[in-house]
Amino acid sequence: MSKHFVVMTINGEEKGFYVDSTDRLIDVLRERFGLKSVKEGCGTGDCGLCAVLLDGRLVNSCLVLAPQCGGKAVVTLEGLLQDPIMANLQAKFLKHNAAQCGFCTPAMLLAAKQILDRLPTPTREEVASAISGVLCRCTGYYPIIEAILDASREAEAAP
Amino acid sequence: MSEQALRFMQSVKDKADRGELLYVGESPARVDGLEKVMGSPVYTADLLPRDTAYAKLFLSPVPHGVIKEIDASAALTSRRVIAVLTWRDIPGLNESAAVLPDRQLYASTVVRSTADIVGAVVAETQQAAADGARSVKVVCDPLPAVFDPLEALKPGSVRVHPGGNVARQMRIRKGDIERGFSEADVIIENTYRTQFQDAAPMETEMGFALPSRDGAVTVIGSMQSPHHTRAAVAKVLGLPLEKVRVVQAFTGGAFGPKSDETPYDVCATAALASTKLGRPVFCSLDREESMVVHTKRHPFIIRHRTGALFDGRLTAGEVEMVSDAGAYASLGVYVLGRATFHAMGAYEFPNVKVDSYLVYTNNTYAGSLRGFGGPQAAFAIECQMEELARKLNMDPLELRLKNMLRDGKRTATGAPVESCGLPQCVDRVVRSSRYLERREEYRGQAGSVRRGLGMAFLIHGNSLGPEGNDYGAVILEIKRDGTVVAGTGLTEYGTGAVSGLLQVAASVLGVPLERFRLDRPDTSRHRETGPTVASRTVVIGGNAAKVAAEKLRKRLGLVAADIMKVREERVAVVDGMALDTAGEAPPVPWSTLVQEAYSRGVKMWEEGYFMAPPAPWDTETGLGTPYLQYTWGALILGVEVDMETGCYRVTDVHVAYDVGRAVNPSGIMGQIYGGTVQGLGYATMEELIHRDGYIVNPSLTDYYIPTSLDIPEEFKAYIVEEPGPLGPFGAKVIAEPPIVLPAPAVRNAILDATGVSVNELPIAPEKVLKGLRGR
Repeated sequence: MSKHFVVMTINGEEKGFYVDSTDRLIDVLRERFGLKSVKEGCGTGDCGLCAVLLDGRLVNSCLVLAPQCGGKAVVTLEGLLQDPIMANLQAKFLKHNAAQCGFCTPAMLLAAKQILDRLPTPTREEVASAISGVLCRCTGYYPIIEAILDASREAEAAP
Repeated sequence: MSEQALRFMQSVKDKADRGELLYVGESPARVDGLEKVMGSPVYTADLLPRDTAYAKLFLSPVPHGVIKEIDASAALTSRRVIAVLTWRDIPGLNESAAVLPDRQLYASTVVRSTADIVGAVVAETQQAAADGARSVKVVCDPLPAVFDPLEALKPGSVRVHPGGNVARQMRIRKGDIERGFSEADVIIENTYRTQFQDAAPMETEMGFALPSRDGAVTVIGSMQSPHHTRAAVAKVLGLPLEKVRVVQAFTGGAFGPKSDETPYDVCATAALASTKLGRPVFCSLDREESMVVHTKRHPFIIRHRTGALFDGRLTAGEVEMVSDAGAYASLGVYVLGRATFHAMGAYEFPNVKVDSYLVYTNNTYAGSLRGFGGPQAAFAIECQMEELARKLNMDPLELRLKNMLRDGKRTATGAPVESCGLPQCVDRVVRSSRYLERREEYRGQAGSVRRGLGMAFLIHGNSLGPEGNDYGAVILEIKRDGTVVAGTGLTEYGTGAVSGLLQVAASVLGVPLERFRLDRPDTSRHRETGPTVASRTVVIGGNAAKVAAEKLRKRLGLVAADIMKVREERVAVVDGMALDTAGEAPPVPWSTLVQEAYSRGVKMWEEGYFMAPPAPWDTETGLGTPYLQYTWGALILGVEVDMETGCYRVTDVHVAYDVGRAVNPSGIMGQIYGGTVQGLGYATMEELIHRDGYIVNPSLTDYYIPTSLDIPEEFKAYIVEEPGPLGPFGAKVIAEPPIVLPAPAVRNAILDATGVSVNELPIAPEKVLKGLRGR
């Protein structure tokens, strides 16, 4: 196993560190940087709970090797706690009971943030499609879709 | 007084008039919501101490065999492997069993399924532990095995356990079954089959243990029932209960298996290793291990023979249920009971004969899963009602209405029906779905895409009923700053039920839910409350919370009356403000009231306890009152079927549930949406497939659960309130019921659209296509 020196931006801060060639991004984020909002539900890229924004794209961090991330920017929920769109989404998730067991919630919030960044007023179908990579077993998705649509309506109403 | 002030006073007075129902029916944000939307590190795997070691389980290589050798030499060559645990390392009792003592924690001589745990490898890293576990060679002499429960019932079958293959047998005998059939104008008989379903909570099973110098151990893990887990861990370690402390971490979904034996396995392994090594040890299952090891929904084979008059009145129902337990009984003992008592559905049969069997096989074992026998029983009876309607050439709605239970009727066990909101539920979904109009529209359809409607009615016995003593305890403590801290051994794992329970307390105390804080369930601080199962948290725990809140409210009322110099009866507490209902004395804010109570030495904490009355029934005849109240419901859905391919789509779903009293409507809707979608998964796509005792699809790659693109476009849910006698303010349970009805409704809708009867779940398109080709 070889060591790689990687420099990447994690939640806005530049970090340089050594990783093994087989280290997964999820483990680096959780174990080295303590970013515990990144959850592991399967380790095979099916559940999407480990989703993070990698250069703005939503990816499953269990399928990304850390040495591949040199020069890239990673954002997790912890990095968006000052973001007004995220704050609005969090409030709407609470209002609509969209976080039940809460285990998929960080990934769902990132998926929601990504769609709202791209399409400020998405349709129901666009929202359903945007979160389709993240599994939720509690809500049946309806409250989550409702929360995201509610957040988008509010953004639209704002000046 | 200004108009605004008058309005405010009026609203406060209105609230005061609601009395104990102050916040019942409102939907405040759940008490555990903030941590969840902030992504806080509150789940088991987020909390590991720095020097944690990792334990991974190794399993039986064969579905049935005798262990000859456990060769861990390859694992022990790794520098990072610290220890290998097998049954020889267990200081206490080698048992991990919920009801019958039929399952060892680590198999010592005989393995009975590929889910049997043989031991664990402990290492410095998760990867080293996993590699080590994979490298252990468990050498077995294979034994003949049986995988079909009907085969296992035959004399001369392979015996899974020395006592034989029937783990439990139940029966109902009501009326005169022979006379019932002799009176019938038509008799139909059909057999229905259901599959293994995986609960697939998003967080798998895990726990870690921290040893302490006095030989005690603390376990923190993902689970439903910490007190049961404590008992299981103590047994394995050979420790008194007081030496084992179990704390439930935030739990990422459960749905039943986390009330069964798997949390015992991971927590006992972590505790065993940590006491041996003197350091923290974490034991977790990855997704594949979880799907192999934890309990699944039992497959059932259900034969129905039904007699009716030409006008549709039922005369007799005979049912035989065979449930595949897999290799161990688990909570399946009680699952069989719920299936048996719900065999005849929401219909009145004057004559009933039910025989049911929980049968051991060498499949991986089944157990607790949301619905708990209800979905299988409902699938069979609701399919049978549909077949009967067709036989009688009668609309399925008309047949159901003619026979459905309502106040004054009697259940299959002879119990009188009361507080039954089923008629209102049916009315709601019939109107919402435009059932009668669409019936006309769909008449005489031709072409390659056909539409159909399917329905199913629900009866769901509340809480534990025949499954054991039904009690709960809740501690409330009012802190000096006015915060109310609540503690209970009943756990939150996503349902929001603990918030509902606290809403009951909030209403009695007159303090909004946002002033409440929830303690982690902890066996060292909260007394045994029984398991957190059967959707019983609001109904049973809510009653306990009410008891505690009433005692505190009484004390604070006296203090407030004294401050205001009015009689106690005149005091109301609303939104954290003590008021004189006569409007004479000035109001006293909550903080002042609490401070004053503290300065007077008033006891500011209380424990409430509630035990449900017994639910007596006769084990010989099954007759009696196995449940003290029922949740009722109805579902109608529409499908669109492609006649060329058998592919179909659920277009719209209409559901109504009688929840007695809606404590938190938003929480109830959450259960209805989530349970219905999980039920649609059960109906359409979910199946854990066993081949010769091995699960062939133990991953989320090969086992499909619904995504956000699989849910019906139109979903209409309605709440009906017909207060029941058991729950606080008339509340009935709602967490489990919504998973029950989708499967038979989908099947019946496809039958309506195509004329094809699919009597086996899940309803895969190829089964529909096979039926279409066979016409």
